[in-house]
Amino acid sequence: MKTTTSVIITLAGLLIAGCGSSETVNIDVMNDEGKAVMGLDYRDFNQAASEMVQSMISSGALKKSGGGRYVMTTARVTNDTMQRIDTDQLTAKIEQELMNSGQVVMTAAVGGKGAPDEMIYEMRDIRDSATGDEFQQETLAGKRTLVAPELSTSGAIQQRNVRYDNNRQQVEYYFRLRVTDLTTGLVFWQNETIIGKRGSNKSVSW
Amino acid sequence: MKTITNILLAVLLFTFAACDQQPNKLNIRSGIRSDTLGNNIVTRPVAYAFSALIGESIEIDEAILGRNDTGFLELNINGHNRSYNTKRFRYKIEWLDANGLMIQTKTSTWLPASATGKSSFSLKAVAPRVEAEDFRMDTKKWE
Repeated sequence: MKTTTSVIITLAGLLIAGCGSSETVNIDVMNDEGKAVMGLDYRDFNQAASEMVQSMISSGALKKSGGGRYVMTTARVTNDTMQRIDTDQLTAKIEQELMNSGQVVMTAAVGGKGAPDEMIYEMRDIRDSATGDEFQQETLAGKRTLVAPELSTSGAIQQRNVRYDNNRQQVEYYFRLRVTDLTTGLVFWQNETIIGKRGSNKSVSW
Repeated sequence: MKTITNILLAVLLFTFAACDQQPNKLNIRSGIRSDTLGNNIVTRPVAYAFSALIGESIEIDEAILGRNDTGFLELNINGHNRSYNTKRFRYKIEWLDANGLMIQTKTSTWLPASATGKSSFSLKAVAPRVEAEDFRMDTKKWE
């Protein structure tokens, strides 16, 4: 009898320990079965980026008349949510897919947050300084060699919190992007993806 | 007794007939359209229960594959929801090259889809690479 009681106590102890387990596990990012969260997570960015890229490509807006690829830059994509988001989480995926599509080539010389690759200008500063003499002159970039972007991507991620009922809130996220022709200022393409979440008032979305 | 059995059989017959109805271009839902012998306040609960019992759900009618003007493969999927309830699901489309190998792309991710009861739905996907020649699609429950 005593043995049985000990076994039961041990099993109960293990069960309780298992329930309260805070073991770290890797997320299966390919097939994540995890519950949705009120804030934006990587699944939401994947969804928004996928829908944006497919819309952009199917619109034909990136097909350059006369062939070739457009030179594109990413301007400002503002974060109007209550969360600390680096909008590169969205734009990096889109840039990658657009480049791989063969329709555009991105420039790292200009961008909404400054040049994505500051080394472009640092090398030019070196060229124009005394240090430049240390380099083989033909390996230094000459003047007027950078290619200006023809298209620009800009937009915003916005958040709206709505009280759904006494216990639940609704959080709406709006992903808005547009592609502008920098020569004419005309908007070639624009799209909005909405991701909505409804959950407990106790959940925080910031 | 015989009369009751006949009535029950007639109700079931009408219910089956209602179940077989395919969604039309103009979908006027029950409760909005006029009731019929096969779909009315008496037969409707039976039809709902029967539909749930036999597990009616999403069906794909056709998958149309073609290249758009820019040379990218476009997939249009048409289907319908046989059940009376809204069905939410996720789908993922993977693109395959001429050798049947999967093309790695960020657009191949689980995307949400939804179809209201007894209605048609369409999904559209565009391959982000011109190398795409074929596709495969997977679905899973909306978590």
